[in-house]
Amino acid sequence: MASERVLTRNVGRAAARTVRGYREGGGYEALSRALRMQPAEVVEEIKKSGLRGRGGAGFPCGMKWSFVPRNIDKPKYIVCNADESEPGTFKDRLLMEHDPHQLLEGCVIAGWAVGASTTYIYIRGEYTVATAILEEAIRDAYDQGVLGASVLGSGFRHDIHVHRGAGAYICGEETGLLESLEGKRGQPRVKPPFPAVVGAFGCPTVINNVETLCCVTHIVQRGAEWFKAIGTDERNTGPKLYAVSGHVERPGTYEHPIGITFRELLDSCGGMYKGRALKAWIPGGASAAMLTAADVDTQLDFDTLAKAGSMLGSAAVIVMDETTCVVRATLRLAEFFAHESCGQCTPCREGTNWMRILLERIASGHGAERDLDLLASVVPNVGGISLCALGDAAQGPVKSLLAKFGDEIRDNLRQRRYPLPQVPFFDLGAVA
Amino acid sequence: MPRVTIDDRTLEVAAGTNLVDAAAAAGVQIPHYCYHPRLSVVGQCRMCMVEVEGMPKLQAACSTPVVKDGMVVRTQSPAAVEAQRAIMEFLLINHPLDCPICDQAGECGLQDYSFKHGQAFSRFRFEEKRVYPEKERIPLGPTVMLNMNRCIQCTRCVRFTEEVSKTGEIGFFNRGSHAEIGTVEGRPLDNPLSTCVVDICPVGALTSTRFRFAERVWYLDKKPSLCTGCDAGCNITLEHRRGSIKRYKPRYNAEVNDYWMCDFGRGTHERYRDEPRLLSPLVRKNDELAPASWREAIDALFQAVRAKRADGVTAFLGSGFLTTEEAFLLAQLARLVESPHLSVWTDSGPARQIPNPRGGVSGREAAPNRRGAEWAGLVPGADGLDGENLLLEGGADRCAALFVADSDFGKAARDPRVVERLRKARFLAVMGWADTPLARAADVVLPAATHAEREGTFVNSQSRLQRFTRAFPAPSQARPGVEILAELLGRFEPRWGSVDAATAFDLLAEEVDRFAELRWHSLPPQGVSLAAREAPEGAA
Repeated sequence: MASERVLTRNVGRAAARTVRGYREGGGYEALSRALRMQPAEVVEEIKKSGLRGRGGAGFPCGMKWSFVPRNIDKPKYIVCNADESEPGTFKDRLLMEHDPHQLLEGCVIAGWAVGASTTYIYIRGEYTVATAILEEAIRDAYDQGVLGASVLGSGFRHDIHVHRGAGAYICGEETGLLESLEGKRGQPRVKPPFPAVVGAFGCPTVINNVETLCCVTHIVQRGAEWFKAIGTDERNTGPKLYAVSGHVERPGTYEHPIGITFRELLDSCGGMYKGRALKAWIPGGASAAMLTAADVDTQLDFDTLAKAGSMLGSAAVIVMDETTCVVRATLRLAEFFAHESCGQCTPCREGTNWMRILLERIASGHGAERDLDLLASVVPNVGGISLCALGDAAQGPVKSLLAKFGDEIRDNLRQRRYPLPQVPFFDLGAVA
Repeated sequence: MPRVTIDDRTLEVAAGTNLVDAAAAAGVQIPHYCYHPRLSVVGQCRMCMVEVEGMPKLQAACSTPVVKDGMVVRTQSPAAVEAQRAIMEFLLINHPLDCPICDQAGECGLQDYSFKHGQAFSRFRFEEKRVYPEKERIPLGPTVMLNMNRCIQCTRCVRFTEEVSKTGEIGFFNRGSHAEIGTVEGRPLDNPLSTCVVDICPVGALTSTRFRFAERVWYLDKKPSLCTGCDAGCNITLEHRRGSIKRYKPRYNAEVNDYWMCDFGRGTHERYRDEPRLLSPLVRKNDELAPASWREAIDALFQAVRAKRADGVTAFLGSGFLTTEEAFLLAQLARLVESPHLSVWTDSGPARQIPNPRGGVSGREAAPNRRGAEWAGLVPGADGLDGENLLLEGGADRCAALFVADSDFGKAARDPRVVERLRKARFLAVMGWADTPLARAADVVLPAATHAEREGTFVNSQSRLQRFTRAFPAPSQARPGVEILAELLGRFEPRWGSVDAATAFDLLAEEVDRFAELRWHSLPPQGVSLAAREAPEGAA
């Protein structure tokens, strides 16, 4: 795929971590451009670009900004969700570690557009390197007059603070994040009211993912039309980072126009590990439903994947080959969700754990067909009625396991094949 | 006001009312655990899921307000019923089914909804239930015991300590299926309202140290009553078994105590159990108190107060524990013998504060009804002896006869110096339920009913007149004060002889402006505020 690198243009260019080095590549031009525009024009431009949130839900970014009340006697906040904790996702880390100013620029533009003078970057606690790089970049930005009392001499004030999370997945949920940011127990709030009206510290707040804010920078720089030209259609636009992991030859973060097919993505990663056959793949992080070899020509964008019964989510593509026990793989995800459920609402607290128990029974060889039936009747109760999206997320992979591999599991159970033999991912002998 | 249709019943509710409350107003019960009208809405038990027309997913009724006209809600649609069943199943898979030894059994939200919305079998068959090791009996503080295994994580208790008592002792710890409530080491649950968390706990996770294992709740008879701990006048449900009071629970009254009451008040019935009772009239003969008939006792008192004697005056000392009706009759007695020496004594107690939506109610006195007693006429006339003269000074020296109505009017009833001072009266009569040193010093002792054994009205610190009912009859020969005083008054004027609490109150209402137009049988259940009424100075 010989497409232009937009979001990752500075990856590998260490100089871009300083304001001066970043400017050499055309950095902060978008910000000065934005500051010459009316805030409403910036919002309009983002709306026109069709940019959808890169964190998982895919909500139109410009629309989110326009929900913030204009005339309100309260401070407003930009919160950058850098709590990248969806299993399989590691794209934001790349952006923050290699091109921190791209993110800072996006934050300030967002602040200008909605009238917020403070940004909190809520960063995953384990990202110590990214935290250090961001903090250094912020210091530099203050020194160079990019941040502070008068951004680029415009008179517009903007401050950016980095807030480290303590490692809870639920703090990536936007209201859970806000609670944590406010110093409370990180658990989701009842919505409505939505954060755009009552967010951080009771004030209107825009919460955007790292990649989304990075896109903002480029939209302002090069225009909505340019952005819209990239991608599948009007509703799926722009460049996209795909974090590929699992049984591929070269796992890693890849930038492509949104909406390339899974087959194309796989090719760009060097194909399946050791040329093995594809068994299952997850297109958008642990919460997304599994797809199979039959779906390889699916376009990786919001709407096509939704139609296929899955979702683009965070675009963390997890690839599993024929040696994988899909039940055990799903169990691993179920364990994650049971561990990360905040315990607040009943279906998620009890349901994630029950799903884990049933999958464990099956995978370990203690299960019977009735466990599969029971699992099938418990799963729909976990999502849909939970307080936040974690319950829905937890049921995604299990639901697809039953839909796509139900017959296979049933057959394996009848033949008493569980536990299936485990094939080590890495051939350690070969490494030595 | 927007109109909302809930299960085919249409009604108008104030904008912003949530669906649980709106449904209740329509006569539809939506099951819920975490929602409580006085606590913030967290929508986390997910028991109250309902179908709202036009919304793709089920909605939690507690966190869905009625905002626009024409909302259509179904609580019994297949999806809603399935959600309720699913939640019940989730709650029960890890709940210990130890109802036979659980103190909450019989008043347990989990039991009730199991019958209504649950199923009779478990699909969680092969696995061990989750347990919280060594957390079956954790004292959260002096008043509340936690059994974590029974908790359904509704966090009502957490929100209560944060939002109502504002002490914040209880927190929500850990995550997922290990989430638990608890306190921080060194900061136990210890505040004046702490036992309220037991009332609002829907299951047997929090039980009252004072009440647990005292009685199975289905044996309890429950009667609406009032707390006598102070003059806040908290509405309570008095729960007893065959005349032995087991507990007080707060009874909702938004004007007074809302849904709450204090720990001190909850314990005030214990003195009825712990202190000796007067069970028979006593009359002093040959310098010794001996059991006597009611006729003898009342005769002796009648003779003593009737005669105008040269060796002193006749005085009456009432207490804040008298009902308004008893105080009125006592005042009538003083009027008949033309004595200006009548008054009420009340100890001042530590200030108590119960929150309610109108800023709270406070109690500062150690008795429930000083105001009512005074307004019913128990105030000294010109140069009359009052409580202070009698108890702290030598006022009793001047008394030919002294009638103390309530043997337990305050701490002084047990103070030997005070008893000695009162004993200076040539004739001393005492009425009351408690066998106190003061009663023992009297010439005539009249055993009376406790407030659980009689009916009447109290006027609280907000000047709110509230009626309470009799929970059970007085034991042995003890009689309600109204009956005793009516019989005594009947010796003067026969028309008084048959007066009961209801007629005494209606007579009072005719006589005293402040109570004008009120009638015993039409007193509203939440009480009447007398604050705005004209204060009739020195009325009697």
